[in-house]
Amino acid sequence: MAQNELADILIIGAGASGGAVAWRLAKAGFSVVCLEQGQWQKPSEYPGLSDDWEIRWRGDFNYDPNSRRRPEDYPVNDRDSDVTPLMFNAVGGSTVHWTAHTPRFHPSDFRVRSQDGVAADWPVSYWDLEPHYDLNDRMMGCSGIAGDPANPPRSPRPMPPLPLGPDGVRMANGFEKLGWHWWPSDSYINSVEYDGRPACNNCGLNGVACTRRAKGSTDVTYVPEAVRLGAEVRTGCRVYEVTTGTDGRATGASYFGPDGERRHQPARAVVVACNGVGTPRLLLLSKPEGHPRGIANSSGLVGKNLMFHPYAMVTGAFWDDMKSFQGAVGNIILSQEFYETDPRRDFVRGYTYQMVRSTGPGITAAGFSLPPVAWGGKHHEEFAERFGKTAILAVISEDLPELHNEVVLDDRLKDSNGIPAPRVRYKTSTNTRKLLDHGIRNARRVFEAAGAHKSLVTPLLRAGGWHLMGTARMGDDPETSVVNKYGQAHDADNLFIVDGSLFVTSGAVNPTPTIQALALWVSEHIATTRGDLKASAN
Amino acid sequence: MPTKEKQLTNADRMMLKTVLDRVIPPVDDLPGAGAMGLAAQVENIAGRVPRLHGSLIKMVGALSLDLHSHAKGGFNSLTTDQQDEALRTIESALPGEFGNFLELVFLAYYGDSRVHKRIGWHGRPPQPEGYEMEPFDEAILETARKREPFWRKDK
Repeated sequence: MAQNELADILIIGAGASGGAVAWRLAKAGFSVVCLEQGQWQKPSEYPGLSDDWEIRWRGDFNYDPNSRRRPEDYPVNDRDSDVTPLMFNAVGGSTVHWTAHTPRFHPSDFRVRSQDGVAADWPVSYWDLEPHYDLNDRMMGCSGIAGDPANPPRSPRPMPPLPLGPDGVRMANGFEKLGWHWWPSDSYINSVEYDGRPACNNCGLNGVACTRRAKGSTDVTYVPEAVRLGAEVRTGCRVYEVTTGTDGRATGASYFGPDGERRHQPARAVVVACNGVGTPRLLLLSKPEGHPRGIANSSGLVGKNLMFHPYAMVTGAFWDDMKSFQGAVGNIILSQEFYETDPRRDFVRGYTYQMVRSTGPGITAAGFSLPPVAWGGKHHEEFAERFGKTAILAVISEDLPELHNEVVLDDRLKDSNGIPAPRVRYKTSTNTRKLLDHGIRNARRVFEAAGAHKSLVTPLLRAGGWHLMGTARMGDDPETSVVNKYGQAHDADNLFIVDGSLFVTSGAVNPTPTIQALALWVSEHIATTRGDLKASAN
Repeated sequence: MPTKEKQLTNADRMMLKTVLDRVIPPVDDLPGAGAMGLAAQVENIAGRVPRLHGSLIKMVGALSLDLHSHAKGGFNSLTTDQQDEALRTIESALPGEFGNFLELVFLAYYGDSRVHKRIGWHGRPPQPEGYEMEPFDEAILETARKREPFWRKDK
């Protein structure tokens, strides 16, 4: 498609959600253009094949764009935030570096107001999304096993679970001694060859980037399929404005091309898929006539209600060498014993335990889930205690929406194109703190039951903002939400949002399967009801 | 004291070598990190990671300006106890920078083949070889499967 030719669908962002939408709508016969500020990644150049892989993990593959500082990254002012937002800018987005731990929301997560009297209900239910979860599991490639009593019955997983390893078995036994729930994790990592991609060989770097393509990142799943179906992905293109016509409807987007030149891509509909920080940033930047607060922002809620999943990390040290750097890093077991609200507790909602492994010697010493190993006389002893001998329980807490937690435009900080950077204001709530403390106390009990001789606590992981949610939430009421149940802006019927910004509440699990199920739900709606957006209808 | 261009001087490098020996002291048959010659690798890594480079320069600058060290003729003229005390002072005053500095030193030290040999690390990249692991065995679910479903209904 020529650069200024009218597209049916313009998608901004080729990550977890943008990739899924590109595939579904290209399959439905729409002409699709996707603008991505990052580049296609080359798995053969990922850190896992380099002697200096630990340095690269902390350098050009750092989760934090402020540390990574690639040309395609934009800075984020996080001085007023308890948690640092993390992301990756590339085709595949943050699925390039995610662990691919893929639990689903529970049915109750969509009914928080009705059931617990807090926050708001979603305009969709688990059951609305269930077929889209299933489709996404097949497209991304899910290993796991059905039958988890903490969740509704689900279809057989396409692949068996990943290996538990000696550390996983030990932790499972710890949960069982206490009579607490545990289950093998669902993961978008191949445990056997799947869809032309090989099985994982347990290198442990799924949380950096997968050299084998055994991990389901959208640059190896949805996006290539979308391209095969005719979608066009333009990389190195940084969008700075969603444009509108005199009728208030979206007309396309203006962007800086790879050469730094300003361009415009016209489209019949625009789909914003830039994550829970990038999406509100773009909407707030887009102030065409008639939209003084930013496009789609008549409610004033764009950027508001930012949710992370605040993490506490409890690390258990065992006496024997479990080689805990072997195997997928966060894809072993989970426990949802404390997922749901219990009126006997002094907080609402709950949390998931995600078991996490350790890693190589450099990052073990520099601090993975803990502060760095001691320097000086105790260094060697403390290092020996940690290396290969620890397991981690990450407490993933539900984060309730609060208006004062927000993404705004920074007054001074700008990206390399001179576009205002986002500024994040975020404070953990009293409810969250109580919830995390409960999780810490119980994690210590699990480690004791599992035979650990010591457990060490990080009460709040600052560099833990992987999950960016809530900043353009969905709802039925235009005064209390930004988009409707189909991700369609209340203010413009051809502007859609499909990323974590949509979330009304956060649940207490890694959000990407839900983000992608929502993206497929929105796409299905467009594909089946919005034939008016096709060239053939115009 | 680092230059205005944020580069270390030769005097800084001599001090850094001593600092490394205090941060990671000798063990078994290995000398301290400084005596192993790792200062150059620390500087090299810092050159690749801007965040860590900034912290290295601030750390070295702070040690150079430390009044107590200065009065005694510089960090290298202090006793080892005094050197540790100077480092603790900076750790307390600049915790973020000090943490980054430790990260830098640890990445250099644990990237060295002599250290790999001592700690029993294979030293190769994780790929393409990966690791052999026993496949998942469903037998472990015998107890977990007996539990009745307990997810909360939404209706």
